[in-house]
Amino acid sequence: MAFFSSGSRALVEILTRMQSAERPMPVDHTFFEFGSIRYHVEASVSDHENVYLSISTPSLSLEASPSSSGLPEATLQETRKTYHRFAEVVEPPREGYVLTLKLNFSGLTRPKDRVKAITQVSRLQSVVLSSQLKDMLGSLVSSGTMKLVYNQREPFFVSKTQDEKINAVFPMRFRDDTDLAIATSFFQELQELGSSLVKKAPTCSWSPIPPPELRGEHVHRLTTNGGFVSFGVLPRHVMGKKRAAKTAWILLNFQAYVKYHIKCTRSHIQSRMRERLEALTEVVQGARLRGNDDARKSQASAVVKKRGSKSRLISFAKANKRLQKGFRAVLGKIKRLRLRIRVKGLDRLRRQCQCFPVPKLPGPSPRRKVHRYHKLGK
Amino acid sequence: MCLQNFPCQEVERHNKPEVELKTSPELLLNPVLICRNEAEKCLIETSINSIRISLKVKQADELENILAKKFLRFLSMRAEAFQVLRRKPVQGYDISFLITNYHCEDMHKHKLIDFIVQFMEDIDKEISELKLSVNTRGRLVATEFLKQFI
Repeated sequence: MAFFSSGSRALVEILTRMQSAERPMPVDHTFFEFGSIRYHVEASVSDHENVYLSISTPSLSLEASPSSSGLPEATLQETRKTYHRFAEVVEPPREGYVLTLKLNFSGLTRPKDRVKAITQVSRLQSVVLSSQLKDMLGSLVSSGTMKLVYNQREPFFVSKTQDEKINAVFPMRFRDDTDLAIATSFFQELQELGSSLVKKAPTCSWSPIPPPELRGEHVHRLTTNGGFVSFGVLPRHVMGKKRAAKTAWILLNFQAYVKYHIKCTRSHIQSRMRERLEALTEVVQGARLRGNDDARKSQASAVVKKRGSKSRLISFAKANKRLQKGFRAVLGKIKRLRLRIRVKGLDRLRRQCQCFPVPKLPGPSPRRKVHRYHKLGK
Repeated sequence: MCLQNFPCQEVERHNKPEVELKTSPELLLNPVLICRNEAEKCLIETSINSIRISLKVKQADELENILAKKFLRFLSMRAEAFQVLRRKPVQGYDISFLITNYHCEDMHKHKLIDFIVQFMEDIDKEISELKLSVNTRGRLVATEFLKQFI
């Protein structure tokens, strides 16, 4: 099913191409990912060892960090720690970006290490977002709620209970009824599995009405057609750096995951309907009288086989006659083609006005008349 | 299904299915309604030159309702492939067929009846299977999603 890789494939491709290039080349790329994350990769020929990578991510929560410029110190520290072997954070970052890294892979001699480093760099977005989320959750007071905006159109809420349990609440909105029906079925399964079957996974609940944690929020934020999905994330799910980052990434991409599932299911339904349509069409075609030509032919051949030798002889004679007739017709046509076209009075006209030459057509070789006469003697 | 060619009695040089126009009551037979329950029924309207068969398919819950609507709309959009399928169903029904005397001349009658019966069976089967597959897919995807946390 859906696997949302936390690494940027475009970034991996650009950096790999730069590393494998025989001659240093200038690079200046700007691209977007996930709609709102902007990357900028820059390298010059004169300073080809250093690659400047800038990233701009929207602030996850305006409540936590009202100034959208720059990242919190904890996130910067986390980034420094992760990439200390081959990158350093440039202060201040490039204009319009929240973070700029100066990458230098010259210290990594083995190609294997470089590939690993590039893969690590491609996860920069995930590192930044998860450290931001971690920081926010740390600063969140117990029984408090915070709105997080990863995707502009679909914010979600995070709250902390007194027993250190984090509740992530996703208000789900869908375009049409089909999406809603598929998503509802998915949420029901998720709820059932999350509460009982899959052990160690966060508890999951789905309700059409907003959970009590969202009391006091604006009405337009709580107006949904798909209800509210809540995940109860326990401390064990965010224990350790890697696990916490993974959990944060999964939660950030939950809505995209649901959308992807809906899209796949829709296409599955469509393909099944197409198959059924073909099967039904064949039945209609089979009902047609003209559609059974093959069967008719086979029936006719069976009847012919039953006939005796007499009928065979008659049919052979008939065929012979038809063949002869055809031959005659073809011969007649050939004869007519080879004949000259005769126009009445053309000879007289030619004699009268000499300026009207008649071209000589290549006709059938004229038979030489043999004049048999006696030469009269003097 | 004893249909015969019958030109319109009202308008000269018109030859239309009487079951649709209903211009002359003497050309129409009593309609037959076969009901399993309120949600599943079949209406057969007969006339001298045409038959109209309308079906209402079972829709137990929201998902079945959506799937039935989607599937029947998909078929109606491709009505030319079936020849006897009406583009718009009769009011109160999900799908309608219109069989005229020309169809009977062009096709085997018994096979046409077989097709209608198979169509009814297939639609029910397909909707049930689709519902099952959507739920199964949902379960699998939910399992995979929750496994990521472990």
